[in-house]
Amino acid sequence: MTTVEQKLTDMRTEYGKTLIEIGKENPNVVVLGADTTDSLKTAAFGKEFPNRFFNVGIAEADLVSVAAGLAIEGKVAFASTYAIFVPGRVVDQIRNAIAYPSRGDKMGLNVKLVVSHGGLTVGADGGSHQQIEDIAIIRAIPNMKVLIPADTVTVNNLTWIISQKYGPFYMRMARSKTPIVHEDSQEFEIGKGITLVDGSDCTIASCGITVNMALEAAESLKQEGISCRVIDIFSIKPIDIDLLEKAARETGAIITCEEHNIMGGMGSAVAEVVSEHYPVPIKRIGVQDMFGESCRDKEIPLLLEKHGISSINIAKSVKAIRSKK
Amino acid sequence: MGLNYYQIKKHVRKTRKLVIRGITIARSGHPGGSFSMAEIMGVLFNNFLHYDPKNPLWEDRDRLVLSKGHASPGLFSNLAVAGFIEESEIETLRKFGSRLQGHPDLRCPGVEFCGGSLGIGLSFSVGLALAAKIDNKNHHIYTIIGDGELDEGQVWEAAMTAAKYKIDNLTAILDRNFIQQDSYTEKIMPLDEELIGDDLSEMWRDASRWKTGDKWRSFGWNVIEIDGHRIEQLNDAFSKATSTKGLPSIIIARTIKGKGVEHMEDNPKWHGLAPDPDIAPIIDLELDSQFMIAPSIIAGDMTNLENEVKRCVHGRADYIHLDVMDGQFVPNTTFDHNKIKELRPLTVIPFDAHLMINEPVIHIQDYLDAGSDIITVHTEVCDESSFGEIHDKLKQNQVGIGLAINPDTELPEWSFKFLQTIDQLIVMSVIPGKSGQKYIESTHEKMARVVKILNEHKFKGYIEADGGVVLDNVGTCYNDGARAFVGGSAIIGQNDVRGVIRQFRLVILQERRRALLQKAYELGGIELVNKWIDLHLVGDKKNQLIRMAKETRYI
Repeated sequence: MTTVEQKLTDMRTEYGKTLIEIGKENPNVVVLGADTTDSLKTAAFGKEFPNRFFNVGIAEADLVSVAAGLAIEGKVAFASTYAIFVPGRVVDQIRNAIAYPSRGDKMGLNVKLVVSHGGLTVGADGGSHQQIEDIAIIRAIPNMKVLIPADTVTVNNLTWIISQKYGPFYMRMARSKTPIVHEDSQEFEIGKGITLVDGSDCTIASCGITVNMALEAAESLKQEGISCRVIDIFSIKPIDIDLLEKAARETGAIITCEEHNIMGGMGSAVAEVVSEHYPVPIKRIGVQDMFGESCRDKEIPLLLEKHGISSINIAKSVKAIRSKK
Repeated sequence: MGLNYYQIKKHVRKTRKLVIRGITIARSGHPGGSFSMAEIMGVLFNNFLHYDPKNPLWEDRDRLVLSKGHASPGLFSNLAVAGFIEESEIETLRKFGSRLQGHPDLRCPGVEFCGGSLGIGLSFSVGLALAAKIDNKNHHIYTIIGDGELDEGQVWEAAMTAAKYKIDNLTAILDRNFIQQDSYTEKIMPLDEELIGDDLSEMWRDASRWKTGDKWRSFGWNVIEIDGHRIEQLNDAFSKATSTKGLPSIIIARTIKGKGVEHMEDNPKWHGLAPDPDIAPIIDLELDSQFMIAPSIIAGDMTNLENEVKRCVHGRADYIHLDVMDGQFVPNTTFDHNKIKELRPLTVIPFDAHLMINEPVIHIQDYLDAGSDIITVHTEVCDESSFGEIHDKLKQNQVGIGLAINPDTELPEWSFKFLQTIDQLIVMSVIPGKSGQKYIESTHEKMARVVKILNEHKFKGYIEADGGVVLDNVGTCYNDGARAFVGGSAIIGQNDVRGVIRQFRLVILQERRRALLQKAYELGGIELVNKWIDLHLVGDKKNQLIRMAKETRYI
């Protein structure tokens, strides 16, 4: 691991730009939006490819179902809006129009639900708009896959990968800009986690904005002589069982941290795997089964801290869990 | 592709029977909504959908999306008749391991959409239509939605999207049967106006109270409103819808839930309920006992046949019988193909041209060109060769094939080889030539002879009773085996054509009910008779049946 570059970049801008690159190469790619195409940066795709871009208005049920219709005809359909609405508003349509229809070995339809504004970092819009249940919701639907990129390098790679890999995907991006945590040369594979820092005393499993927090926590613990392994679980479903089992065996304890309710999220997914394959003490850090609230951008760390989502709390938890090993 | 009027009727009857077979064995399912859309499906599969059962994913096929997926047996039965699956597979409906899931699933060949969670199908279809536009494909998307389904807000999201993108390669069909799971739509969530009381019938008839079409018009759709059980109206509506450019079309098909089986019709109970196995054979017989009424307009004002046609249409005749007389085969002269051609643009109701003319083989093309839907010629002026020519020509042109015999004529032996494929046999019960004659009583015995021959030669068409048929004898004609009834002065000679046609139907229905009671009695004695009678909840049917059963001493 080389030094972490703390330049902040915007996931949505990267997504919009990547879509156009993909659209140039693959004429079957279509993009759908629901009155948030400016915000999601997909409007630019519409300018480039007007006949492959559809804005259905504030109608998320229609959005994902039209995408399903396009997908079954051989299109690669990217449908994008805010996480609070997709999946929040349209679980049935995702389940029955996208995930359920299967023909031969094609399980589900080729729809990519790529959304922004996941988790508490939505900030000012308040608890009603902070999606903290999406991983749990989507993870429970057969055939659906769940991805949470930590930075723009990941967004670029995953957007390409899911455009080429058949099946329904859910990818949740953050509203705020994020530091780059991965090298440009980093390779990504669905179902494979990435070890960013190796260590032997404890593993910190993270996804999205918490990957950087995990790196900061590991760095500070290193000063105290505690060796932490940091892994990026960007692919929550399918999840990297081998990597997690190895981490459990070699480090003996796991901390998970995510901006999602502690019930049903990445932490739960990790706990499910570890408890079945190599049980070790686990501590889940995440939203404490309560709704979020408004905060100005500079106050977002305060909101996160309220739920213990911070590098300081991660470090504290690592120390606490060592005594349980 | 393409079947004539009678053949579609038969196709629809067959699919309804398959629905009953599947649902009865499954012990659950939705007969009501399968039956309300049976004619819609029948016309689509036979006259409009382009498909290849050997290659279900043929990319240029038309797409049929059944959004109201609970009516899946209605789809599966059509897929079976069309050859996508074996007919016997309908018996696996809803069973473990079956391709025929409770709601349509892509694992069944021919299914395009996993319908059933209501409100999604129209959006999905918009996606299909947009994809076809991107790819410059000419196939069409047909989407069947239910009226209860319109409660779902997503339908209206899709309606706006379809209008915005000027989707004209999609035709939605609204199966407007007025019933949803809990009760009548106009009680649960009114689309036209709130229903007070339980009698749907007035609302069904009164076009001025329908507002559903206005809703769609205001959403920017081309709206076509029809009676969804009439083959010819469906044909016409689909032709218009598929040729309308620049905006999406919806056919609002007014239908009857459970159509075809009296105890199911208009009864919310049969939205999702399976008939008991002991009732199923009675239902089968009822489905096999469909009948039609056709006024003969020469009994009316010959100087204004246009008006007579309109009276028949208004009177809800099933089709119109046109007696063509040439003054040679019969002493009288009425009109020829030129008149039929003149009348044709007035209506889409089927024309049954009964040619009482010499050498019909010479003139047959004229009657085809005039727009006849069924053409009947007399055995007396045909032989095997000339009728063979007529038979093939009519078949090619998807026109119903009819043969007629005079009162003093028996079925000639040369005709036997055609009996399996003709659509209609007219057994004349007056000497043809003029209207207003009395029914020849010996026709009853003759019918017994004829029916025997027809059964021996696997006749699958309709026997038409023509000549002196009146209210007093139409029931007996039904019992003789006739299933189509031509009424001359008894219908068209009356002031209230609609009223008299209704009376004709009631008389025939009485006889049919009697036959069904008898069937119930044969199958299960008093117990089954009572059980079957108890199913008749809507209207006054139950009391009538009890009276009838008591008269017959079944109960």
